[in-house]
Amino acid sequence: MKSAVTTVLTVADAAGRFPSMSDIEAVKGSLDRAAARMEAAEKLAAGIDKVTADAVDAVYGKGSYDQANKDKCSRDIHHYLRLINYCLVTGGTGPLDEWGIAGMREVIRVQVLPTAAYIEAFTHIRERVCVPRDMSQQAAAEFKGLLDYLINALA
Amino acid sequence: MLDAFSRAVVSADSKGVPIGTEDLAALRQYVADANKRIDATLAITQNVSCIAADAVAGMVCENTGMTQPGGNCYPTRRMAACLRDGEIILRYVSYALLAGDASVLDDRCLNGLKETYLALGVPLSNAIRAVEIMKIATVAIMTETNTGRKMFEGINSGSGAQCKEIAAEAASYFDRVISALS
Repeated sequence: MKSAVTTVLTVADAAGRFPSMSDIEAVKGSLDRAAARMEAAEKLAAGIDKVTADAVDAVYGKGSYDQANKDKCSRDIHHYLRLINYCLVTGGTGPLDEWGIAGMREVIRVQVLPTAAYIEAFTHIRERVCVPRDMSQQAAAEFKGLLDYLINALA
Repeated sequence: MLDAFSRAVVSADSKGVPIGTEDLAALRQYVADANKRIDATLAITQNVSCIAADAVAGMVCENTGMTQPGGNCYPTRRMAACLRDGEIILRYVSYALLAGDASVLDDRCLNGLKETYLALGVPLSNAIRAVEIMKIATVAIMTETNTGRKMFEGINSGSGAQCKEIAAEAASYFDRVISALS
């Protein structure tokens, strides 16, 4: 699983050397941002159902749709938000890459899923994040960065 | 390879839930102790050859036959292999310590180590003794309880008592090596 620390250690191990001063600096740099990331992860975990419901409602609007489809949509958004929560904790995009994005294109193509709707949902979430009501400035920046990463992968 | 953070992620994913306040408390502790952890890592990296050489020398002193013809550290080529292995084990312990998780040590160092040593005819009891000495030396340097001069320069160096908990964690990784060889 890719995270700030494991990335550094993989490189060090490939070279067969002990963690160097620059490796340690890299780890420390990531840990300095950890407080903001963990705040975002905590707030997201607490409000994940609400955020999902809000995004799904925004995408579906007032029209009447098949409830089963809507449930599947909210399941998927919930899943992606959970992976973003994991990315916030690890400080890298490992969880999203490995469990969300790898193979995503193939699945979407085979099942003819509307990626535009997902993008719409995550853009909505991105715009709804309110500082300081939801989380602090830095935490919001970390959260939005990962939402952007996911939106780009879906686009 | 996992670290303290990705370990939490893997366990949360198996339950399908996001990581909430409770799990984050332990990780916040890791972040709060980051400077001590870095110091403890530095204590190893700045004294690698000293720790490994002392351990091998200690092992040989206790079994002087090892450097005699027919012994396992004779000739110097085999003694050199022994020193090299000591450094390799120390390197993986330093990785595990920095990551806060033993998976890198398990996957990349200990998996199959005992079988390799058995196949090569390395006496396991002596290897274990060398690891034990490395453990004692490492903990002493980290906590600055070694006799003689201060052995490392770090953020908290000069107040070795601060590294006590991390030193206990480092000792647990050495114990892992010992139990893998036993």
